[in-house]
Amino acid sequence: MNELLIIIFAPLIAGVIAWALDIKGVREIIGVIGAAVPLAYLIKLYSEVDAGNTIRYSTNFGGFTFDFALTHLSWIFAMIAGVVGLAAVLGMVSTSRNSYEWLFALMSLSGVYGVFLAYDLMGFFLFWELMTFGSFMMVLKYNRSASLKYFVLSIIGAYAMLLAIGMIYAKVGSFSFIEVYKALSQDAAMGAVGAGTIFSRGEMAAIFGLFLVAFGVKAGTFPLHVWAPDAYSETNQSYTAMFSGVLSKTGVYGFILIYMLLGYRLIVEFGTFRSVPKFGYIIAFLGGLTIVIGGILAALQEDIRKLFAYSSISQIGYILVAIGVGSALSIEAGIYHAISHALFKGLFFLIVATIVYRTGKTEFKDMGGLAEKMPFTFAMAFVAILSLAGIPPMVGFASKWLIFEAVISQNMPILGGMVFFGSAIGFVYLIRFTYAVWFGQRPTDLDDVKDAPLPLAIGMAILALLNVVFGIAPGIVAQELNKVFGSDVIGGTIWELNIGVGKYSGLLITIWLVIGMLVAAIIYFLGARVRRVPVTDTYQSGNPVTMDYNLTIRRNFFLPLKEALSFWLRISFDKLYRDIAKTTEDFADTLRNYVYNGNVQSYAWYLAIVLLILAIWGV
Amino acid sequence: MISVYYFGSISLILIGLYAVLVKRNVLKMLIGISIMETGVNLLLISIGYVSGKSAPILSEGIGPSQAVDPIPQALVLTAIVIGVATTAMALSVAVILYEKYGTLNVEEIRRLRG
Repeated sequence: MNELLIIIFAPLIAGVIAWALDIKGVREIIGVIGAAVPLAYLIKLYSEVDAGNTIRYSTNFGGFTFDFALTHLSWIFAMIAGVVGLAAVLGMVSTSRNSYEWLFALMSLSGVYGVFLAYDLMGFFLFWELMTFGSFMMVLKYNRSASLKYFVLSIIGAYAMLLAIGMIYAKVGSFSFIEVYKALSQDAAMGAVGAGTIFSRGEMAAIFGLFLVAFGVKAGTFPLHVWAPDAYSETNQSYTAMFSGVLSKTGVYGFILIYMLLGYRLIVEFGTFRSVPKFGYIIAFLGGLTIVIGGILAALQEDIRKLFAYSSISQIGYILVAIGVGSALSIEAGIYHAISHALFKGLFFLIVATIVYRTGKTEFKDMGGLAEKMPFTFAMAFVAILSLAGIPPMVGFASKWLIFEAVISQNMPILGGMVFFGSAIGFVYLIRFTYAVWFGQRPTDLDDVKDAPLPLAIGMAILALLNVVFGIAPGIVAQELNKVFGSDVIGGTIWELNIGVGKYSGLLITIWLVIGMLVAAIIYFLGARVRRVPVTDTYQSGNPVTMDYNLTIRRNFFLPLKEALSFWLRISFDKLYRDIAKTTEDFADTLRNYVYNGNVQSYAWYLAIVLLILAIWGV
Repeated sequence: MISVYYFGSISLILIGLYAVLVKRNVLKMLIGISIMETGVNLLLISIGYVSGKSAPILSEGIGPSQAVDPIPQALVLTAIVIGVATTAMALSVAVILYEKYGTLNVEEIRRLRG
């Protein structure tokens, strides 16, 4: 059997076996093996990919030829799926309730591998649907309405993609990426010299718009993000690490595909806006809105799971901004952030899984002082917080810094502002998570909480370690990304990133940070005076607390923000979609009352009128 | 020039249709349906009529070339039976409706049913 097929189908086969055997203990082992096998194969194939070979495989099935290929780009994305998928599956060893979850979690992982390795549009679509179906079933078991919302939006995305693929196939006559790329770049060349093209301007706009909807749904782009907060929070939290870390990356990969397949043609057709392709600017602007809206909504949540769901949406916005800006540096920065987002967001959701698993609570108001009880999880959370907030020795800083540099170097003030705002709001919601969950007074019912179970701890440790390693040596990732582009877009050594306008050395900063911490520790141990501060002193600014405006960090901490934004918060896309559904229902109801009214005589009238029309027509 | 047979039978159909569309009483609607049926049967028969020919019964002096079209007559024979059967069934439904609701007005029955 071919190696690519093993990578794609190993999780699915393991999932089916685990589901069929359904023996507690055995199914977990099979599941972990199923997630580990593709990762092992990907590592094994690295040397070949690194040498510049593309590993290809094609098979004929039911009249269609399915192409698979492992290029450098798809290797990077598949590695994200492999590492975060393995960590999430390890987490599921602790948190899964039954074999049903193993089947569908591993099925969606198979779908993700298929999406990344597929080299033709048909296979891409099929695996895309497999992934959607698996994740839909995972949500369905926990919350029906959340899963339905996810399903409806996914269906809209899937049909949009299918239509776009159909339009391309109708003109090109092939699904293969290579054929499509050849046809479209030829078309672009024809368009550039003003000759006739096979795709008209309107068709290109339609294909782009349809792909935008299809990939936007999966990535959680504004205004199609409404499914994500519910779906991310209403499922097995270990699985959410995969959901948010890996599945959303297929949307990102899709946007990169737009560049790879349609990019030249779209630039020729629609031109550029300040050296940024116009179609990319649309992606970037949607990404910017996603950052701002996801960030603000994350700050207003009272539920940990919801907070990280919105934060995940917000972080995906960064990737879209970077990809949309469309220079080589910014696309590389976008992929870099996709990697770091998978690492820290996967870690975050595993931490949330641990908290929910150990305490059974999800809201800030029930938490507090867990750092003493769960030191290991707290250490992991500390890494994740630093990484998401973009504090230097973590991978989150390297990728965000690259995005800032990429956006600024293209002279994009609005996008730059949105990205900076997103970072600021990132601190706003993270400080709440940091303080409300880990510090402060502990509710008495959390006194006998234990630390993370071993499999979850291993899963978290893998991701945290990578967060730190890629942070201290950011060049490891950057050099892999350079190989994708075939040129040194980001220079420097493995310790240092150099993009011409600026340098960032992860190692140097780490050394200085360690020295700084040592100095602080020496001062502390030499006898700094310790004074215990009452918890209430830290957040009330000296004002007396009244009961009706009690803004502790655990409850309504950002209520003033909420009140200031109340007008904007009323405009919710979630509500808009519900209103559309309601209007449709009302319209159907009206139709039922006046047309389908149960009166035999009115049906006789309809019949008579139709007959009359036919008679006049002369049938 | 429309033949008087066509005109008469189509008028019967329209009168029946009028009763079905406008009358509120179930029995009157059923009468309308019966009238429509009669009209349809007459129309079918008149389609098969060939001017100056006699009944399609093979007997002395009457061969296949002297008879009117026999097919509509067979069709109408079937249609009459079906018509009677549906009328009988509809009448029994009308009886049940009256027993159940105490009225034969379709509007009222619809309202009572909710």
